[in-house]
Amino acid sequence: MNRDVLVIGGGIAGMQASLDLGEMGFQVHLVERLPSIGGKMSQLDKTFPTNDCAL
Amino acid sequence: MSGDTEKTAELNTKDARIGVFVCHCGSNIAGLLDCPGLAEYASGLPNVVFTKNNLYTCSEAGIAEIMNAIKEHGLTRVVVASCSPRTHMPLFKSACAEAGLNQYLFEMANIRDQCSWVHAQDRDLAMVKAEDLIRMAVAKARFLEPAEDIESSLVRRAVVIGGGVAGLSAAGALADMGMEVILVERQAELGGLLRRINRIGPGGEKASELVGTLVAEFKSKPRAKALLESEVSAVSGVVGNYEVTIRDKSGELQTETVGCIVVATGALPFTPEGLYGYNGKNVITQIELEEKLRDGTLDAKRVVMIQCVGARSPERTYCSRICCQTAIKNALYIKELNPEAYVHILYRDIQMYGTDNERTLWDSRGKGVHYDVYDVDRPPVVKDGVVEVYQPLLGEVEQIPFDLLVLSTPLVAPEDAQEVANLMRIPVDQNRFYLEAHAKLRPLDFATDGVFLCGTARYPATVGEAQAQGLGAASRAATVLFKDKLVASALISQVTERCDGCGACVELCPYHALSLEEYEQDGRKLKRNKVDKMLCKGCGVCAATCPKGGVVVCGFTRTQLQAQVDAALEAA
Amino acid sequence: MDVGRHPKIRLLAYSEIEKIDGEMGNFHITVRKKARYVDEKKCTGCGTCAEKCPTVTSDAYNLGLGKAKAIYKYFAQGIPSAYTIDANVCRQLQGKKCGVCAKVCQAGAIDYKQQEQILEFDVGAIIVATGYDLFDATKIPEYGYGRLPNVVTALEFERFLSASGPTHGHVYRRSDLALMDALPEAEKNRQKAAKSLEQLEKKGGMSSSDFYAKYEAGELQGEEYDKWAEQVKVSRAATEKFEAMKAKVDKIEGAHRLAFIQCVGSRDIRFNKYCSGFCCMHAVKEAIIGLEHDKEAEVYIFGMDIRAVGKNFEEYRNRGAGSGIKFIRSRVAEIYEDKDHTPILVYEDTKERQVKQLPVDLVILATACQPSEGIVKMAATVGIETNDFGFIKTASYPPLSTSRPGVFVCGCAVSPMDIPESVAQASSAAARAAQVLSGSETERLAS
Repeated sequence: MNRDVLVIGGGIAGMQASLDLGEMGFQVHLVERLPSIGGKMSQLDKTFPTNDCAL
Repeated sequence: MSGDTEKTAELNTKDARIGVFVCHCGSNIAGLLDCPGLAEYASGLPNVVFTKNNLYTCSEAGIAEIMNAIKEHGLTRVVVASCSPRTHMPLFKSACAEAGLNQYLFEMANIRDQCSWVHAQDRDLAMVKAEDLIRMAVAKARFLEPAEDIESSLVRRAVVIGGGVAGLSAAGALADMGMEVILVERQAELGGLLRRINRIGPGGEKASELVGTLVAEFKSKPRAKALLESEVSAVSGVVGNYEVTIRDKSGELQTETVGCIVVATGALPFTPEGLYGYNGKNVITQIELEEKLRDGTLDAKRVVMIQCVGARSPERTYCSRICCQTAIKNALYIKELNPEAYVHILYRDIQMYGTDNERTLWDSRGKGVHYDVYDVDRPPVVKDGVVEVYQPLLGEVEQIPFDLLVLSTPLVAPEDAQEVANLMRIPVDQNRFYLEAHAKLRPLDFATDGVFLCGTARYPATVGEAQAQGLGAASRAATVLFKDKLVASALISQVTERCDGCGACVELCPYHALSLEEYEQDGRKLKRNKVDKMLCKGCGVCAATCPKGGVVVCGFTRTQLQAQVDAALEAA
Repeated sequence: MDVGRHPKIRLLAYSEIEKIDGEMGNFHITVRKKARYVDEKKCTGCGTCAEKCPTVTSDAYNLGLGKAKAIYKYFAQGIPSAYTIDANVCRQLQGKKCGVCAKVCQAGAIDYKQQEQILEFDVGAIIVATGYDLFDATKIPEYGYGRLPNVVTALEFERFLSASGPTHGHVYRRSDLALMDALPEAEKNRQKAAKSLEQLEKKGGMSSSDFYAKYEAGELQGEEYDKWAEQVKVSRAATEKFEAMKAKVDKIEGAHRLAFIQCVGSRDIRFNKYCSGFCCMHAVKEAIIGLEHDKEAEVYIFGMDIRAVGKNFEEYRNRGAGSGIKFIRSRVAEIYEDKDHTPILVYEDTKERQVKQLPVDLVILATACQPSEGIVKMAATVGIETNDFGFIKTASYPPLSTSRPGVFVCGCAVSPMDIPESVAQASSAAARAAQVLSGSETERLAS
């Protein structure tokens, strides 16, 4: 049984899944199509409902 | 502890050998500040024996420089003047440790976020500030003391409070991941609200079947155990080692030691006494309709439903998310049983969000369900067997006769939500739903470590959403329980000999990390403060409160802070 | 940041999945890591290369609203922080000589010969979190997107609001922005023309106005004088143009009247019948922030239903209404343009049962959340099915499973959803993956 995981997509969902699995001790391979991770959320200024910075 | 007695190089304050690394951060800092100038300035400060400029201190090259300098120049303190500690402090600390220097003998000066980034308009003053910040960091660094991270073991078990769909989901997943799980359920059977409803939208599966599947799966897992007709009566301890006391129906207590707790205590449908003529007979709630449908006792031919009853109002400002879906699901089922039935839904906004829901809405229109919007300022009025409602789209008042009036009410937190919250020192919001650590980025965590949240205890959710959240909470708990040990920072409170046990700080600690312990000295019974090392977060409220210096925060002692203040005022 | 530094997370950015073989517990993955032409290990992200790069192109991160260079960092705080060369526009890589970035790079990180790499590794479980793309609003011609400059999408407006965006947080009509952008060019032309005129004046030994008066009177004839006269005309035209533009630019204020139009491409029988979930809240947020940036702003939100269904969302919407946002229950029929590019909305106010027209400064379209452009190809590569809506198909029980055992999905790849839901689902998917890796998923499927 291989204990590695592949996560496809480095947006907010992909990052959170990677962090959870990484914290659990599994080796995560995160593949992202764009030059950097962050996804659509990185293009947002502030997010609802707390109006804090997206990054 | 204040008052070092060992004369190792690391503890030596007077002859401390400080290395200062001034980061360019590409052009983030160097674009405004004269970094070589700052390094030169630093080299003139007392105890500074080594300085270096780095393009990016956080790069591989920069880290290597720190490690080499520690070894080659016998540095006993390291100061990095760069970005916010929140960015790279752990990285720099581990670099020090790798080079053989205690990681707590490291200090940072934030000349980026707090200088070059915010004072771009005034280069000269920014330079002065950068020099001030470096001087202060160097002054404090002399007085830093070595320390060790605090480790604790953890128990690889979990308690899940609540045996509804979210709790069953969480418990099942945790068991699958190899954890021992104890599920505590107040009622005699598992399943929660799922037992009361008829079908699950949008697919229309029978709720009783899902309950059966979930319970059978749960029971098939050897590591999972359910305690029915039981409640949690007390919780103490800290992440990794919670002591949970459970009371069964006969009053007997048992205590379980677990690493994490999952709160899945659910919510209940609101009963709208006094609203719209609610009588529980021909004016009922959606959950009562579900029960009729489930039991096959519905015989109405004209059904009117009113949305947002007791919700989106001054008493209960929130939208309960699921009531539109529930109403339409039930409307469709009624039409399925009797295609001739007249069903009319009166709403303010029709909250069928997402893909499946919107399709269901369109389908329902196709099947003949009537919809009308009503204005919050002119809500429907219920007379005997008739709903009178002003229709803004027509500009007229319509009279709608009914056999059955169904009121869609919100899910509300259980009456004892606050009591349960108090057991674990978790907060509730203004609607008595539990308050998560961060609305967006940590929706299933509490600020309290080791306690997690899922299902309608957090906020109204559908069956599917509650299930997914249960899994999510299990994942969050697993990030703790999968570890071999828990590590906490050493920068926490320490009690000194000056503590006289007055207890002023104890009540003020937001983390409940302080308590008074009794001890004997010279035949007298005395009290003093005791710090729980795992609970304490080093916030400093106690140290700020104590007038006697009876408790200090490691890494922020009076001596250290005084040195910084003196350094800050030096140039002035 | 946490992701970039985590010891257990191997980040393969600028990469795509080529192939997935095998089965749950033992998938064999082939990844194609595209060539950045920059060595990630050496690049320190200092930015000198982009500063000196001579090729300007449009800025994808800012949705074409700003400018970027051929060598770029997707956004300032991006992880990895290495730069990337867009081979499609880079002179050097297109065969013309340049090489400036390689010359100025102190870390020696530029590598024009870099090849893409094929990487292979094995995993036990897979999580698909590929997100979404936005509806192309040009498909709704009656809204004028793409034709009318002051009709923008919600994400474009987001970039306007952002302090790190192309306007540093100032909200202007896009037609005004275009004017401001064109001004430097007009200034340059004016100066050039004036300079040419100066030279002619030196040669001719008199001022241009004196000369021109004589020329018009017919006193001076000949080719040289014809040329001078021509240049005088050119210079006067350039000056007039510049001054007219400047006068307009000086009068530019921010966009005060904002209209948000919901359900653009959603709940629409012609395009996506479903609801995109987060746009109502997104509009309320943009409206509230718009009001923060400009206390005088007049803000309208046109929607059919305002879906504020999440935790604290209804309270947020009420806060918006309290700050002055006017909610109008309506589906806007048409947008046309007045002189000066002022957009005018034509709509039925259903509460008052009247057809009305409303001129505003900027129209913001809440475009639908759609399945990613490459989803069909990606799903085929990963071996999973899509559903009727075009998103990844999941079963209702257990949640987040796809049609292929061991492959799970979360976030907007499943269905439109907001950030808290995406984050919660991501943890859920992680739990499913952990179940596989702990061996219990195999047991469940076998039973």
